[in-house]
Amino acid sequence: MHAEVKHNPDFAAVQIQFHQPGEQVVAEAGAMVARDTAVQMETNMRGGLGSALKRKLLGGESLFQNTFTCTQPGQTIWIAPAPEGAITQIDLQPGQELYLQSGAYLASSSGVQLDTKWQGAKGFFSGEGLFLLRAYGQGSLWFSSYGGIHVVDIGQQYPGYICDTSHMVAFTQGLSYNIDKVGGLKSLFLSGEGLVCRFGGQGRLWMQTRNPGALASFLQPFRTVQRSG
Amino acid sequence: MQVNVLYRPSQTVAQVWLQPQESIMAESGAMMGMSMNVDMQTQAGGVMKGLKRLFGGESFFRNTFTAQGGQGEVLLTTPLCGDMAVLEVGARQWQISNSSFIASSVTVDVSTQASGRGFFSGAGLFILGTQGQGQLLVGSFGAIEAVNVNGELIIDTGHLVCWDANLQYTVGKSSNAGWIASYLSGEGLVCHFRGQGQVYVQTRNAQEYGSTVGRLLPPVQR
Repeated sequence: MHAEVKHNPDFAAVQIQFHQPGEQVVAEAGAMVARDTAVQMETNMRGGLGSALKRKLLGGESLFQNTFTCTQPGQTIWIAPAPEGAITQIDLQPGQELYLQSGAYLASSSGVQLDTKWQGAKGFFSGEGLFLLRAYGQGSLWFSSYGGIHVVDIGQQYPGYICDTSHMVAFTQGLSYNIDKVGGLKSLFLSGEGLVCRFGGQGRLWMQTRNPGALASFLQPFRTVQRSG
Repeated sequence: MQVNVLYRPSQTVAQVWLQPQESIMAESGAMMGMSMNVDMQTQAGGVMKGLKRLFGGESFFRNTFTAQGGQGEVLLTTPLCGDMAVLEVGARQWQISNSSFIASSVTVDVSTQASGRGFFSGAGLFILGTQGQGQLLVGSFGAIEAVNVNGELIIDTGHLVCWDANLQYTVGKSSNAGWIASYLSGEGLVCHFRGQGQVYVQTRNAQEYGSTVGRLLPPVQR
């Protein structure tokens, strides 16, 4: 298959053209924009109920995923995420691993495996969900960001990097991180910066330029008030 | 200090490069990421200054980022989608609509305009003023456009980002037909500028956006 990400970083969509019958793409429920009528679509809980529930409850993904299978060469499918922003394509090789923040997963080709990974107590304080999705195997993976995507290569360009937890999207397996406050104790409560991930090691970090929590806090005061009684 | 605005025009981030020991002061919550050697301090800048800032619709606290023992990098962002502009402060001073302020050099003093007309102009507009010398980073909701005023111009207060402090302005109703007509027109309050100078205008109005979407959200139960 051949994939092309269009309209980055504002309103990205990925257009996939299949080359051979039997090629498959798995996508988050609701992510399909358009497809050739003869592309077969199957809705399932990937990996069975237990595995899907774990991904849903722990990884923030939807319970169901759709599998699209090519029946004729040249068929196409379009996929897009819900929020405005960018899509990043990663071509995974055996032995490579990618960690995704819950909700960032968009789609992948059939050779890519996903599971959730317990982040230990440090994930507990991040406010971003306890678990990260771990992607491995061989094939293409697409993840989405709210806003543009900013890449930081740690180990070469930077010896380490500090990233606001709500702006963290994905990172490669060579990186390690811990969750920490930034500044002193006073800053923890008053700076408005919340918690950060301090990354070290060798690898790539992807950050999103907008933060869904900040949009929600902006909108909150505009909600109407309903008085009971 | 060097500021690069990336991912224009709608998903912008300001990549700020600091020299060793150089600092930048930023609005609370604006930091998206930074290099390991940058130190952050939270300051209220004195109780009175903090209170004035609170009245300015800004957050009470601001953060100062300082590069320690080498060059440093800070990424700054805004809650809503839009563009950014980097302005020189010194020969020209600026007045800023409170929600548009992102960051400034520590050598620039940014304070709420306590006196003069338009301190509280309604429509959520509080005005900040600059003093000193350095750089100023402002953000817009939507696209940003620099408009040259030569004579007079009327701009909706919700679309103002910042303007040349040399410009005279009065805040008032939009229509000449009276307050009721002005209210019904949906145009709210406007700034009437006079003189010569630049005004930065944003193509979307955050208050309008908030009330349009806010109506559709489930009500808050009290």
